[in-house]
Amino acid sequence: MATIEASPGEPVLYEAHKKIYPREVSGYFTRLRVISLLSLLGIYYITPLLQWDGRQAILFDLPARKFYLFGLTLWPQDFIYLAALLILAGLALFFFTALLGRVWCGYACPQTVWTEAYLWMERKIEGKHNQRMKLDKAPMSAAKFRIKAFKHTAWIAFSLWTGFTFVAYFTPIDELAAELLSLSLGPWETFWILFYSFATYGNAGFMREQVCKYMCPYARFQSAMFDSDTLIVAYHPERGEQRGSRRRGVEPAAVGLGDCIDCNVCVQVCPTGIDIRDGLQYECIACSACIDACDEIMDKMSYPRGLIRYTTENSAIGKRQKILRPRIMVYAAILLLLCGMLVTHVAQRVALELDVIRDRNTLYRETPEGLIENVYTLKILNMDSKPHRYTLRAEGIDGLRLVSDQSEIEVEAGSVYQIVVRLQADEFNLEERSVAVNFHLQAQDSNHLNATKEARFVGPGKS
Amino acid sequence: MHSITPDRMPRSQQAISVLWPSFIIAIVASGAFFSAFDPRDLIPFNMDIDISPVATYSIGFFLFWLLAFLSSSGTLYFTISNCRFLKKQGH
Repeated sequence: MATIEASPGEPVLYEAHKKIYPREVSGYFTRLRVISLLSLLGIYYITPLLQWDGRQAILFDLPARKFYLFGLTLWPQDFIYLAALLILAGLALFFFTALLGRVWCGYACPQTVWTEAYLWMERKIEGKHNQRMKLDKAPMSAAKFRIKAFKHTAWIAFSLWTGFTFVAYFTPIDELAAELLSLSLGPWETFWILFYSFATYGNAGFMREQVCKYMCPYARFQSAMFDSDTLIVAYHPERGEQRGSRRRGVEPAAVGLGDCIDCNVCVQVCPTGIDIRDGLQYECIACSACIDACDEIMDKMSYPRGLIRYTTENSAIGKRQKILRPRIMVYAAILLLLCGMLVTHVAQRVALELDVIRDRNTLYRETPEGLIENVYTLKILNMDSKPHRYTLRAEGIDGLRLVSDQSEIEVEAGSVYQIVVRLQADEFNLEERSVAVNFHLQAQDSNHLNATKEARFVGPGKS
Repeated sequence: MHSITPDRMPRSQQAISVLWPSFIIAIVASGAFFSAFDPRDLIPFNMDIDISPVATYSIGFFLFWLLAFLSSSGTLYFTISNCRFLKKQGH
């Protein structure tokens, strides 16, 4: 592979990767971030442990083709809700990006969440950023090997736990744990646990910011949602320049310098390895580490905080900052509308489906009483989380009779029940060879639970 | 001056630019496909195949990934070879 040369000033997209050792940072935004990251990790690992009505509260039961979301059971025909949910999530991302910039990247993206978790382990085991750099540069020794082996063991253990939890969203966690303990995991479950673990290990341990830089589609198109009033992390060049080092307690104006002491701490803490002082860059995930780092330096220098701060393009040039602008309102309106539609749709969802199949072997037959008879197979799908008793009736022809060996039909929760019924009608009431009839199914304990299905009734026809 | 063109991309990034989009497409495609078709209905008549639904979903996912992978590799291959061709012609 040829090495890549680029003339100065030319963007080097394909440069060789240099490992980044983010320096540790503390401060207000870092605390906020830790709270967010820990909550999200907590949600991920605890969710499969939650129980609801004697089953796992959130379970995507692929073999049974049912999705459980607390009280709600979704069937494959409800796939539209999942699609709607994804569209909502996408729109919410638009809305929050326009308003708050890349908060998603810095505070909530799984890539950030797990990278920070793995970095935390790395820090605990290998030490501060300069110790880590020294360790990596040092030749392999017994001590280095021990530290590295310890780190990778911790990473792999955490990855395996992550992979196990992931599969537990699709296979009940108690079954999975029992299978694991008795070493009888199925081949595919084993495969997916390892697959997901490996992906976590690779992405959070090694790929890190490269995922954001080279693989993330959002990083590429988020600028389309930005405007001059979007919250960004920015350096204040008018205040900071001319940057330069000086002794503590020196008044910047006295030495002809700006407030930036060029200590480079903002660069050292950056998890993507950029210099925020170069302006807004697509690599910036708005994690605000440089804000906290710079504020600490400003405090030490007794300069006012906020040389690097959350701001907007407009307020940075002294213009008034508008929060409620057309873009925000349009995103919010669409978001609210879709949310409302989804909620009403789910609330009105009838957890019952009726399917009618006409017996195709015989068109019709005549009963001993001289009535025309058609046979139908009914499939009743009770999508509710409790059993119901249903009453069935049919209409569409004068004097139509429904003959069934069951006067009421009981269907277990979340199951399909099949029943064969016969419809009988007097030939004189049949206007045509084929007449539409309607089957109505009504739950006895809920007016809301009903289904209607049209079918054809075939007779000899008027001669 | 060297311009940065796809044929100068490191192999690792070429691999990612093929594997990653096809992975995402495979998730979407298998989600849509298997919500419409039950794997149990896909087994032809009279064939006695004992295969678990999870295995069917997994194999289905990998087939979609393979399909999308082939398509993405085609795009990358033509992009690279067109780049080299244009360079040869002195562009």
